[in-house]
Amino acid sequence: MKYGDRIIKMEGVIVEVHDGCVAVDMKGRLGYLKVPMRMIITDYPLKVGQEVAWNMSFVEQLGPEPNEKYISNLDTLKRRQEEKRAQNQNN
Amino acid sequence: MSITAETAKEHANDPAVLCCRAEAGLTIGAENLEDPAILDDLVDSGLLNLDGCLTIGQVLGAKLTKTCDSLSAITADVVEGAKAPAAAEETPAAPAEEPAAAEPAPAVSAAGTGGVLKIHIGEGKDIDIELPLGIAGGASAAVPAQTAEAAAAAEPAEQEPVVVRELTRKHYQITEVKRGPETKIEGTTLYIREGIEKECVEDQELVTEVKLEIITPENYHTYSETIMDVQPIAAKEGEDEIGSGATRVLDGVVVMVTGTDTNGVQIGEFGSSEGYLDENIMWGRPGCPDKGEIFIKTQVTIKEGTNMERPGPLAAHTATDIITQEIREVMKKLEDDLVVDTETFRQVRRPGKKKVVIVKEIMGQGAMHDNLILPVEPVGILGGKPNVDLGNVPVCVSPLEVLDGCIHALTCIGPASKEMSRHYWREPLVLEALHDEEVDLCGVIFVGSPQINAEKFYVSKRVGMMAEMLDVDGAFVTTEGFGNNHIDFASHHEQIGMRGIPVVGMSFCAVQGALVVGNKYMVSMVDNNKSESGVENEVLACNTLCHEDAIRALAMLKSQMGGEDVKAAEKKWNPNVKSTNVELISNVTGKPVELVDNEQSLPMSDKRKAKYD
Repeated sequence: MKYGDRIIKMEGVIVEVHDGCVAVDMKGRLGYLKVPMRMIITDYPLKVGQEVAWNMSFVEQLGPEPNEKYISNLDTLKRRQEEKRAQNQNN
Repeated sequence: MSITAETAKEHANDPAVLCCRAEAGLTIGAENLEDPAILDDLVDSGLLNLDGCLTIGQVLGAKLTKTCDSLSAITADVVEGAKAPAAAEETPAAPAEEPAAAEPAPAVSAAGTGGVLKIHIGEGKDIDIELPLGIAGGASAAVPAQTAEAAAAAEPAEQEPVVVRELTRKHYQITEVKRGPETKIEGTTLYIREGIEKECVEDQELVTEVKLEIITPENYHTYSETIMDVQPIAAKEGEDEIGSGATRVLDGVVVMVTGTDTNGVQIGEFGSSEGYLDENIMWGRPGCPDKGEIFIKTQVTIKEGTNMERPGPLAAHTATDIITQEIREVMKKLEDDLVVDTETFRQVRRPGKKKVVIVKEIMGQGAMHDNLILPVEPVGILGGKPNVDLGNVPVCVSPLEVLDGCIHALTCIGPASKEMSRHYWREPLVLEALHDEEVDLCGVIFVGSPQINAEKFYVSKRVGMMAEMLDVDGAFVTTEGFGNNHIDFASHHEQIGMRGIPVVGMSFCAVQGALVVGNKYMVSMVDNNKSESGVENEVLACNTLCHEDAIRALAMLKSQMGGEDVKAAEKKWNPNVKSTNVELISNVTGKPVELVDNEQSLPMSDKRKAKYD
């Protein structure tokens, strides 16, 4: 990465708490982050509305070419979701 | 910041740098020196140059001849009275985490010839020699020597190993899996009842659909949802309980759990090993299928939105277990003439040898971060207690219980480092330690990793107490994956280490899983990484604990228990440390350590190949 060491502090607000993950809205509408439980360090029980902070850098592209594996996985997901949606409507 | 005399002693061979401005004529003491732990960062950022810098051991007590600013490296031209370098004290071996295996053990020969005890120590340091009183009576001397081998040789009287219990595994070969009107095994063909999926769905309120696929080696190149678990198909014989008696197991076939919710979202969501099976599985890892095996793969659909709640993944596992349980019932009735191989595991205690315990940290943060402990059947559901419900407190099990499927793993992220149910069935560290005649493996402690820090320290203190009560001479602490579980991982080291027990840690770290915290007891670490670039590479079980890691950990713990120091790891991840250590171990043991393949050995689609290689 070209700018790998440009670390900035980000803050956010917990907007969803599940048994397995937590979702965070970054302050200033800079994005949305959903992380598994083990990737969040907590001193208190998790609650919606709690503020959190972490260091991160900007997101950099690794190359110009899309990876076919991920495209194929996304296509499958899209197709499957459409099938499920149709199935759900029929039920 | 200045350091204490104690720290200075520990870091006697590290560079001496002034922490604050010092006037000429000052006699240098520990309080004038900077903590060596922070120097690497300063050097990296160009603020500090350590060329020609003397060590702390050399400068202590020397007189400064020139006034120096803070953060100046102390070189020979600014001090007088510096000590000569401690020659030959450090063996200039390759940078290694575990020099112990390589450094020639000082010649400690203890011989009670005619009432005269001769001890010749050619080279070495920090050697403690304890002699029992009344040695004149011709009693042999116990020398807690440098290596475990030496210690074993000097044992007063060789005590017989004791077999505590035995476990027999009877293997039944399966070469074909078909659907049929009833579940049965005929010769080497396994039939699974048509329509069993319906019962799986009816049994579980949250499950809306179960698809059963039989994947043979010819169609490994099939798309699959994220692999949630890989399980052996095994059943206990008669009234036998997990960890003893006889277990029947099917060879050549495994159960694989996959699934989504009704919106098509992966269960667990974060375990992204979906894609073509042959490109996403690191074959032959303890937790993975072996090449050539047939998969009985379920694709479970659960109610929308339950993929991230605790009951969701458990329902998917329970639904799958209905199929496995029906196979188990059939297996219990099989005739013995179908047995192709019988394996016997003996839990051997070796009195007089160094007593060790394995602490395995398992996930306990909730939902996919859960494990069922001690079900009735190997890797079953019924009877198993979720460690989250047990409060993640440590649970003691015998090594044979581990190998007999006492853990049903509801594993989560990331695919490359998760330990699946099959991993415990073939746990390399347990196997290596159990078969190592130089150590006495007393048992295995499973401890959950809770979410909240206060709970992490709560369970960790219990682990420490347990280690204290067990009176062990050494301990392994292992964990799977990375994340906040490294906080309790570090705490386990502290709790065990502060009781004076040497401890060796095992985890995936490398680049991406670098430890978030550390303490002074975390000196011996084995990195489970196998991936080329040290990251979570989304290939199932690529970075999990393998035999090669177990061998390194054992060598490291033996050295530590023998009183050797383990060299500090380099600041940044360097894969060469591992190869050097492996080489050192094979040099000493005379046996080559076989290394497993990584993701580079897997097929890549032609398109990917054209673009990336």
